[in-house]
Amino acid sequence: MHKCDCESPLTPSVVEIMDIVEETSDVKTFYVKKPEGGVPFDVMPGQLAMVSHVPVGEGMFSISWQEENEYLQVAIKRVGLMTDELHRLEVGQQLGIRGPYGNGFPVEECKGKDMLFIGGGIGLAPLRSFIKYCFKHREDYGKITIVYGSRSYDDLCFKDELFEKWPKEKNTEVYVTIDNPEVCWDGHCGFVPAYVEELNVSPENTVAVTCGPPIMIKFVLESLEKMGYTDEQVITTLEMRMKCGVGKCGRCNIGSEYICLDGPVFNLAQLRELPPEW
Amino acid sequence: MVRMKVLKTSKLEAAFNKLVGFGDLYVPMLRGSQSGFYSWKTYNEDYDDLMLDILNVYLPPKNFVLPQTEKLYSFKQEGVAIDIEEVKQKIEPKILFGIRACDVKGIDYLDEVFLTRGYDDIAYKERRDSLAIIASACYNPGTNCFCESMGVNPTEIESADVILREYGPEGYVWEVKTPKGEEVTKLIADLLEDEEVKLPELKSFLRQVEYEGVAEKLKDMFEHPIWDKASEPCQNCGICTYLCPTCYCFDIQVKSWGDEGYRFRCWDSCMYREYTQMAGGHNPREASKERFRNRFLHKLQFFPERYGPSLCTGCGRCVVVCPVGINITTIIQDIKEAE
Repeated sequence: MHKCDCESPLTPSVVEIMDIVEETSDVKTFYVKKPEGGVPFDVMPGQLAMVSHVPVGEGMFSISWQEENEYLQVAIKRVGLMTDELHRLEVGQQLGIRGPYGNGFPVEECKGKDMLFIGGGIGLAPLRSFIKYCFKHREDYGKITIVYGSRSYDDLCFKDELFEKWPKEKNTEVYVTIDNPEVCWDGHCGFVPAYVEELNVSPENTVAVTCGPPIMIKFVLESLEKMGYTDEQVITTLEMRMKCGVGKCGRCNIGSEYICLDGPVFNLAQLRELPPEW
Repeated sequence: MVRMKVLKTSKLEAAFNKLVGFGDLYVPMLRGSQSGFYSWKTYNEDYDDLMLDILNVYLPPKNFVLPQTEKLYSFKQEGVAIDIEEVKQKIEPKILFGIRACDVKGIDYLDEVFLTRGYDDIAYKERRDSLAIIASACYNPGTNCFCESMGVNPTEIESADVILREYGPEGYVWEVKTPKGEEVTKLIADLLEDEEVKLPELKSFLRQVEYEGVAEKLKDMFEHPIWDKASEPCQNCGICTYLCPTCYCFDIQVKSWGDEGYRFRCWDSCMYREYTQMAGGHNPREASKERFRNRFLHKLQFFPERYGPSLCTGCGRCVVVCPVGINITTIIQDIKEAE
């Protein structure tokens, strides 16, 4: 599980920021690699890593993409003390990182299926690892539909991919919405769940994967149910505060499941078995 | 009457002075107003009271395997470069003398967490392996003891290396259970005597509760009104988690000065809001009731689902120290009776 050369799984290895991309006014994607080059460890789509800006703190983030043998990408939204400090950093700065943690998306089980990805805000970061994985193994997956929304045009992450790259992929449709009309925006306006219902992607041989703010997830799940998706066809990721990453420190439990270890990815059938704390 | 190896009370201090040959020896003492396991090296007869007959010391011995704070690694930042160095723990052999069945069981449960299911906590394992347990059987349970109700046998202590059985004021039967127990016993072999003794009968428990079926029943009680009533007086002070021999939740924190410092692990408590407070403000257990419910469900349902037994050994400390009188046995009882 742990690939650093130190003994304790709680000790990070060192990585260096090789690039920073400003996605929005409060989201930056950090490209990190080992100082001598290469990734600190291999991650599967949906897995997590604990990133530390050592004098300040550690935080658990979803790895939004791994470019094999080259770098990891972590998209980080500025929401608190630690992420605020991270956003001040520049290329070349070294960070600590440990992982990978969590189960990741069921990329194998989804082979041969049509994929419906539904994201909101920074929730596209974890989904993106799965979306890009599908494009990389394009022949393994059927039609890909991506529905993504955020509060405003400025808050849309990964715009280059959303508007340029992904729509050009084979057998792929990308639908983007923002909450309220804006002068510069001639696309769809409205909330993600309603848009999903409007698009009404057939549940037949389809897996829906959703990630976003808790309130969006809640309504998306309702929409998918109305559209005829079974609980096994719906996958989401959960968020909790995490410290250790190995299911020991206690805090990220929902029922007897630890999100850092047994999650963060669950299908809706599994979620319904858990106490309603998510 | 059976012939057994015994250690006479009169030879206890002589035995302590020899047992230190194995490692630092910790015995139950009252120091100031707090009883706990303190090093025999630091015993001061003007200040400390040896308390071998005390049932439970106030401070549980979980710190012997999971210290209250423990450095993980130190770091130094120079310009944009960082240097991370793991802190190697200096772990010496220790003996816990006179520990009771409930606290030994507490260590068993911590072993489950830190040494099983594909995860070995290296420092924990070293501390555990270098610890010798000389446990003391209980024949006369205290007024707040309910270990038997939680499936703990107060006289047959599985993970002990040696079991002491007080047969009267004059001495203890010395029963060796493991190779490590043999090793420890060699140090005091000349102080042990053969004697015909009659062991006391185990007295009945004053506090009892029926735990069977509770974990199963709780699966459907997450939203039950019982949690409103039970959690209402709770002040979220966290003393129950601090003194619980099985509460193991920890935090990882940083201490830094300028560009250097270290990261350490320290005990945490699920009673505190910060425990689950996320960046950005969302907290899945914002209300006191939610934290209270999670603590009891962890003890009585979640831990059993993951590891088997309940995460309560019936030591009774939380019952004694809770400032508002919350009592886990009453809660178990209420769960049993709830509709």
